[in-house]
Amino acid sequence: MKITTITQEEHKKAFRSVKKPEVIQKQKLNVRYHVEDLDVSDRPRKFLEAFAIILKHSNYKMVLDHFIRMTARCSRCSVACQVYQATGDPRDIPCYRSGLLLDVYRRHFTLGGMLKGRVTGGGYLTDEKIQEMADSFWNCTACRRCVLECPLGLDHGLITHLGRYILSEIGIAPRALVVSTRAQLEGPFKNTSAIPVPALKDTLEFLEDDMFEEKFVKIKFPLDVDGSDYVFFAAVSDYLTEAESLMGIAAVFTATGDKWTIGTDYFDGINYGLFYSDRVLERVVKKVDDETKRLHGKKILIGECGHASRTARQFVPAYCGGTQALPVVNIIEYTHRVWKEGRLKLNPGVVTERVSYHDPCNYARNRWIVNQPREVLKSFCKNYFEMAPSGENNICCGGGGGTVSIDEIRPYRTTVGGRMKAEQIRRSGCEVLVAPCANCKKQLRELVEDQGIDCKVVGFHDLIYNAIEFDDSLKVARDEAGKEAK
Amino acid sequence: MTTSSLLEFARGPLFRLSFAILILGLGRIIFLEIWGIIKAYGNTCDMKMPWQLIRSRSLEWILPVKRMMRNRDVYSVVSFLFHFGLLIVPIFLFAHINLWQQSVGITWPALPYLWAFWLALSTIVFGATMLIGRMAVKQMRFLSKPQDYFWLILLLTPFVTGFICANLSINAAFYQFIMVVHVLAGDLIFILIPFSKIAHCVLAPFSQVVGAIGWKFPSGADEAITRTLDSPKG
Ligand code: SF4
Repeated sequence: MKITTITQEEHKKAFRSVKKPEVIQKQKLNVRYHVEDLDVSDRPRKFLEAFAIILKHSNYKMVLDHFIRMTARCSRCSVACQVYQATGDPRDIPCYRSGLLLDVYRRHFTLGGMLKGRVTGGGYLTDEKIQEMADSFWNCTACRRCVLECPLGLDHGLITHLGRYILSEIGIAPRALVVSTRAQLEGPFKNTSAIPVPALKDTLEFLEDDMFEEKFVKIKFPLDVDGSDYVFFAAVSDYLTEAESLMGIAAVFTATGDKWTIGTDYFDGINYGLFYSDRVLERVVKKVDDETKRLHGKKILIGECGHASRTARQFVPAYCGGTQALPVVNIIEYTHRVWKEGRLKLNPGVVTERVSYHDPCNYARNRWIVNQPREVLKSFCKNYFEMAPSGENNICCGGGGGTVSIDEIRPYRTTVGGRMKAEQIRRSGCEVLVAPCANCKKQLRELVEDQGIDCKVVGFHDLIYNAIEFDDSLKVARDEAGKEAK
Repeated sequence: MTTSSLLEFARGPLFRLSFAILILGLGRIIFLEIWGIIKAYGNTCDMKMPWQLIRSRSLEWILPVKRMMRNRDVYSVVSFLFHFGLLIVPIFLFAHINLWQQSVGITWPALPYLWAFWLALSTIVFGATMLIGRMAVKQMRFLSKPQDYFWLILLLTPFVTGFICANLSINAAFYQFIMVVHVLAGDLIFILIPFSKIAHCVLAPFSQVVGAIGWKFPSGADEAITRTLDSPKG
């Protein structure tokens, strides 16, 4: 898909820094996101030390060795990257982005590079290069679309991931993410939005009442039920902003009668570690696993959230027991399965708008969840249509890689990151866009607002909630419902 | 040294040496690659590999029919045909097979003359197109390092010289000179391949596996790193 590059004015808006000059001076770093104050002396040496330690305790060396022997710099990936397509700045070509880190690796960690460095006396890592990386790696939305276009099969997303990890070890990571993670791992409420358990209970009770009034069915959010089939982890922000999605999920479980629960010791699926630090990633994944085991749950169930699902799916086996690890299921997989088994009835007359589906990168890029939601949606949405490209080749919403949680870069996300997606939505004439991911939903709503597109962004289970039909046995008679409500 | 003795040297001992370097060098990086993969795989607890995805993505690029036309179509087709000629012509050229037969006694079917002619010519044309593309297209020029231009020129040298010798009537002295350039360039290519980006000729098939295992992070890294950071430096 071709798009026009941003105008100079848009460029100014997207890349403006909200930071005060004295902060930039003090931090010796001019990036769009806020960074916590850090020790800035001797940064290149610290970067290399962190790099070395990470290489020692990871598999990245193998990846980097492979990459430095391979990169052919053909620039084919440039067509895939929505950031480059929007800025037209060659420094945003995925291969160049990876090249920044590969050059450091070559120069400082390979024999040839070190010798060459000795001879020419150049190439040493400098503050400027760190600045460039700090900019570039956070321009990327980690959508991994470029992976598909590399003829040599190189995974630029993985290199960005590593680059951010090393940077975070020397204190360069968006403050928004660091603060949330701290609340999650060390804070009293153990979640990124700092929601206390009583507040959670209140919210859920409120939703239960709402659902009862609307559906005349007692739909519950079971808390701390021991031995459930599924222990549920939503992106915790859903409890604040995505009531409809949660209601849809609860409704599906009520209709099927399967046992599920939310643990009050730990209920946050968000894992910002995927975006900036493997160490955070590991800690959060273990928390999810611990809570499921505490409740003797059989499976880990992740809500509508791309990165939360991918982290659990991919890293519970890696960090928590390999083949013995608890199975991880995404809620869409579950809903699709019960629908297929005929345990979920959806009314085909409810949703009449032009509906399309946005693939969250973390679901679709590796062909994990692509067809399941489509099959269900097509069954009850009369006016369902496909946008192109979609599925494995989908275009990122522009808020991937954690950037959506960094509020100060919203202008960047909605003019650069999401430009291609906005164009796609505009051209398709979509009225209701289903985006089953907390990150995508937030970003897409901001995107359509800032770009002036008339399109409603909803979650997958929002529509399910609207269309779901319950067995008569579950329904409480209307007059009884009236009494109960009183 | 006369031109003819230089030619003898270049396609005798020097060729044998460079061929040995090529084979050993490629053997070395393949070994390192596989060793790296095995070690990394051993580090992780998650032993499940997405073989289906790896297989289909690898095949997509080895036979890039599906991928090729979707984006950058001209570049993709040119690049594909260039690679095709680059591999096929030197291996299946009658004159080359003849040399192998004379020296080691092995032989295999050769390309018919016309095929060889057109393939060689197209490789030269497509190679030149890639070179021009690299210089002319903004994003390619930006990414390119000197060695990217160097390699295209170096790879085209034996093609151009070989083409001249095989198809144009030139006088004997000039022929010998061109031939020397032809063989020397070939030798140089063999020597440099294992140490350059052209190593992708043997490493590319590993990419998907490397990517898949690269995303499998070893358990306990967090603790190990914390320990390393806490321990006094020594
Ligand atoms: S991961 Fe996405 S945003 Fe990042 S370089 Fe690749 S295509 Fe561009």
